[in-house]
Amino acid sequence: MYSHDVLVLGAGLAGMRAALEAAKSGANVAMLSKVYPVRSHSNAAQGGINAALTDRGDDWTDHAYDTVKGSDFLGDQDAIEVMCREAGQELINLEHMGVIFNRDEEGHLGTRAFGGQRKARTFFVADITGQAILHVMFEQILKYNVRVYDEWYATNLIMDGNRCGGVVAMEMRTGEVHAIQAKATILATGGSGRVFEPSTNALICSGDGMSLAYRAGAPLMDMEMVQYHPTTLKGSGVLLTEGARGEGAFLINNKGERFMEKYAPNMMELASRDVVSRAETTEIEAGFGIDGCVLLDCRHLGAAKIMERLSYIHEVSMDLVGVDITKDPVPIRPGVHYQMGGIKTDIDGRCWDPSGGWKGVEGLFAAGETACVSVHGGNRLGANSLLDTVIFGRRSAIGAMEYANKNNHLDFSESDWVNSEKAKMQGFLDNDDSGDLVAKLRMDMAVAMDKGLGVYRTEDDMQEALTAVQGMRERYKKVVVQDKGKSFNTNLIFAMELGCMLDCAEAIAIGGIERKESRGAHSRTDYTTRDDENWMKHILLRKGAGDEVTKEYMPIVVTQWQPEERKY
Amino acid sequence: MKFTFFPGCVSRGGAPELYQSTVAVAEKIGIELEEIEGWSCTGAGALQESNPLLGDTLNARNFALAQRMGLPIMTICSTCQGVMAQAKVKLEDEEYRAEINEILATEGLEYTGGIEVKHMLWIMVEDIGLDKIKSLAVRSLDGVFLAPFYGCYIVRPSAALEYDEHPQRKVALELVIKALGATAVDNDGKTRCCGFPILTINEKNSLAMVAKHTGEAQDLGADAMVTPCPLCHLNLDGFQAKAAKQMGKQINVPILHLPQVIGAALGMDGPSLGLNKHIISAFDVAMKMGVRV
Amino acid sequence: MQANVNVRRFNPDEEAPKSYNQEYQVEVDENFTVLDTLIKVREEIDGSLALRCSCRASICGSCAVRVNGHAVLACKTHVSEHLSEDDSVSIEPAGNLPVIKDLVVDLNPFWDKIRAVEPYMQPSLPEPEAEYLAPNDVMLHLVDVMGCIMCGACVSDCTVLEVDKNFLGPAALAKAYRFVADTRDVEDDKRLRMYNAYGGMWDCTRCGECVTACPKGVAPMERIMALREKAMEAKIPTGSYDGAAYGYRHSQVFEDIISHSGRLDETKLVIKTLGLFNIPKMLGLVPVAMNAAFRRKMPPLLHPAVPGVGQIRRIAARISANKRKAAK
Repeated sequence: MYSHDVLVLGAGLAGMRAALEAAKSGANVAMLSKVYPVRSHSNAAQGGINAALTDRGDDWTDHAYDTVKGSDFLGDQDAIEVMCREAGQELINLEHMGVIFNRDEEGHLGTRAFGGQRKARTFFVADITGQAILHVMFEQILKYNVRVYDEWYATNLIMDGNRCGGVVAMEMRTGEVHAIQAKATILATGGSGRVFEPSTNALICSGDGMSLAYRAGAPLMDMEMVQYHPTTLKGSGVLLTEGARGEGAFLINNKGERFMEKYAPNMMELASRDVVSRAETTEIEAGFGIDGCVLLDCRHLGAAKIMERLSYIHEVSMDLVGVDITKDPVPIRPGVHYQMGGIKTDIDGRCWDPSGGWKGVEGLFAAGETACVSVHGGNRLGANSLLDTVIFGRRSAIGAMEYANKNNHLDFSESDWVNSEKAKMQGFLDNDDSGDLVAKLRMDMAVAMDKGLGVYRTEDDMQEALTAVQGMRERYKKVVVQDKGKSFNTNLIFAMELGCMLDCAEAIAIGGIERKESRGAHSRTDYTTRDDENWMKHILLRKGAGDEVTKEYMPIVVTQWQPEERKY
Repeated sequence: MKFTFFPGCVSRGGAPELYQSTVAVAEKIGIELEEIEGWSCTGAGALQESNPLLGDTLNARNFALAQRMGLPIMTICSTCQGVMAQAKVKLEDEEYRAEINEILATEGLEYTGGIEVKHMLWIMVEDIGLDKIKSLAVRSLDGVFLAPFYGCYIVRPSAALEYDEHPQRKVALELVIKALGATAVDNDGKTRCCGFPILTINEKNSLAMVAKHTGEAQDLGADAMVTPCPLCHLNLDGFQAKAAKQMGKQINVPILHLPQVIGAALGMDGPSLGLNKHIISAFDVAMKMGVRV
Repeated sequence: MQANVNVRRFNPDEEAPKSYNQEYQVEVDENFTVLDTLIKVREEIDGSLALRCSCRASICGSCAVRVNGHAVLACKTHVSEHLSEDDSVSIEPAGNLPVIKDLVVDLNPFWDKIRAVEPYMQPSLPEPEAEYLAPNDVMLHLVDVMGCIMCGACVSDCTVLEVDKNFLGPAALAKAYRFVADTRDVEDDKRLRMYNAYGGMWDCTRCGECVTACPKGVAPMERIMALREKAMEAKIPTGSYDGAAYGYRHSQVFEDIISHSGRLDETKLVIKTLGLFNIPKMLGLVPVAMNAAFRRKMPPLLHPAVPGVGQIRRIAARISANKRKAAK
């Protein structure tokens, strides 16, 4: 049987940073990913990574305050402090690994402005920062010879009681199913954006890790907090970086007005993402949009600056909607972008509380978008996601190594676990062709979620979405997998991903209905204000043995910033 | 119709039959050619590797000399055409052009930009016209199977070669072959590399390319391959026997220059087209084209 | 509009697997990419069609395939621009890599070559407390090279890989250049020696296929040429690979000949490149030369001087004088 001290699921930035930390410490570590590491969705982070460097006259507490305020006071302040305090060193680590970064005239790292922050503290590589960091991280993985199970799809966590002892996974090329034993398992499997249509997220962002942990008994936290990014392309919903506005681009309505004047007179286009997305939606619904969109206007930045700093969004705008952003404004709208919620962890990535304060899964860790530490609370600041991945990727590796040093492998029957997973897969293959095609069912779910859990939400709409999603569970059992083969059966994998997406969709809707206030990205027209008296708390959802879901609450950790009115 | 003529080193060196057939065909069609006095090599991509500035300056010099004559340039070599087209793009940058003109100024030369450089192949399609060529043809090449082989530099990069503005450039060789009544033998290798640039560096690979392309053309039933590039010709013709031996296959495909094929249809004879000067004998295909050898 | 999509398929699960074409009729609109089209086939018509794809926005590098014989990124290519007169388009797996299933190819050879160039920064140690300093123009130049998404389109269409699987290929060599051009990496000498070996920078034919295929403007061939320029400039030893030595000499001799006489003199070029006393290599050329002589097409042994050759010599001299000045 394959066996490792630390096994990392997912090979995006959080996963690779975790694996790298473990490898550098000499641990027996491996990564497992359903795609090659450089295909991971961290690629798509465009604008940059935040860090407050003291030698630039910045202070990590300012960064932390901006993050707390951005989170609409739902973020846990101890976690936010950790992230912002360690940001500077981690940024330098990335530079030392080889990330190129734009520079100032003396050759020092240069910054750009980003939304929701009072200082320009976003370090960047043109508008391909995620790709640039991801590829360098992969270089380090090659340098340290980390074992990677490329194109393996994990279908279940191996559990004994509430202890995780590894995973069962399918090697996609052969279709063979294997158990991989691990003393500690780190989930770094990314977000769940494909639960919605449209979405900026890649096709692989199906919330696999969230679902695996959820099914194994770990709680999901604040799942209703789904970020709508203000600038996603008309049609496909592909992302255009906030860096465009950071460089000075305008948002205009059909009358040519910079409408953000009305909503955030100080920060204008650089207000928090939730604020800007609501403003756009209000404009569009009031009839000031164009074909369901408003416009992002970069023209005045000049072609030279655009080609140097925003060349990638220039490329995708040309490719996907045929607009040359140096010459014309491009139609954009708010689109689903990021899951602030996720698997509940502590600041060391643990999915359980060693002191027994809350119940979770022992031996299991999570980092990056799949986790909820919570540093983003109700709304993530742009360029804090890359930071989150590397900070908590590294910390979860340290936590995992510590756990692995103190604990033995779980004893289990390899064949039992493998056979039970094979039986589940065979179940899909045995379905006749009377049911829904996988894509059809996914689209029905994603459209229902888009309708029910949009930028503005109401009890009725959310309930309708929840009922629809729950109703799809029966259809899901009969879903049609046309490919009956063993090798590279992407059809079967898509079917299993859909199961994960249904779990996430349901949790998002339940959380949304439960939170009876408007906070961060969760904006209700039936509860229009933030309710600090009743809702300064996290919502934790736990899956029972059947399909029933139980709710729990945890207080928000406040260290130095009391809730205040949020204005930009 | 008049052009300044840039024959290129190879047609004045290793492939005299290309020069000879070009001049003969041009006269027959009514293209007046005035050779650029004192032209130099374009650098052929090799000079661009070791000394790009010298490469660009020499091209600017050729352009300046041609501009004095007030006519577009005709080339007869894919490599010359491609290298000149790429130099032209670089020299459209005014700052860079000024830098180079500073070097040229001491020789009393200046290139002002915007020169037109066209391969004879394109001139046939775009300026002479396929109908005119058809009307001038006295022999139909009906039943002759010719495999086109372009040469990298007349295919890539397509932007410098203005393929978007002139989409027929993508299939120009096929168009000419068909206009002459022959059958164009479509082959995978037609826009691939002949291997010439690495002949001295990695002869084995170079020969493998020769064998691959000539072998493919032969398997597809081609009577000959036709190329607008004398460097491809040099490799495909000169090294075909050695390449075939390396591969362990019998290959015997004559390689013809573009103007030789046009000349054949226009009724010219073998010696005046230099058809006797190939290393792989063109005797059989000449006979099939009805050309007196 | 309806497109006839011809997909090259291969199913390894069959007993004697063989590739075959399958045509799908797909309703597409003007803005459909090749990827949209393939996803539509997979989701609505035939779930057994295997392909890799993820981001839909030309950044993850999953979906390189061949459309009408040339490598493209499926998500960046509009299908309407590639339809033939009868609205057909052919879609095949990327070339130069073994096929696993349908449009999915085995990328192990690809990664092996990336690994072979030591693809990680090797800076001076110990690390400084803060960042390594680096000029912004160097970083901006590297952004273009770092734009590589490792899709393998360049490898698919590389003409050298078609005949020699040992060639490092355009993607790995572009990656190699990324470190040589990075002022923070201090191992240029070691790297250039390594890339000078058989299968390295000198084996590229400069055919330009990779430049055309690259969806991200990385222009791998130009990076390979830049590697050559750097190796020659730094006078890196060519080691045991004759090809590199010939490459150096070919380039230098070429430049000398042009600088001296304005035009190419093939006889001189060959003799000087191979070396006057390289008897075995010369003998290899004898049959070709004999044949050429027989056909009365030997290039003239004494090349006539080009009119205006003095001008060319002066220009070349001026450029090298300027270069020397700049170097000081």
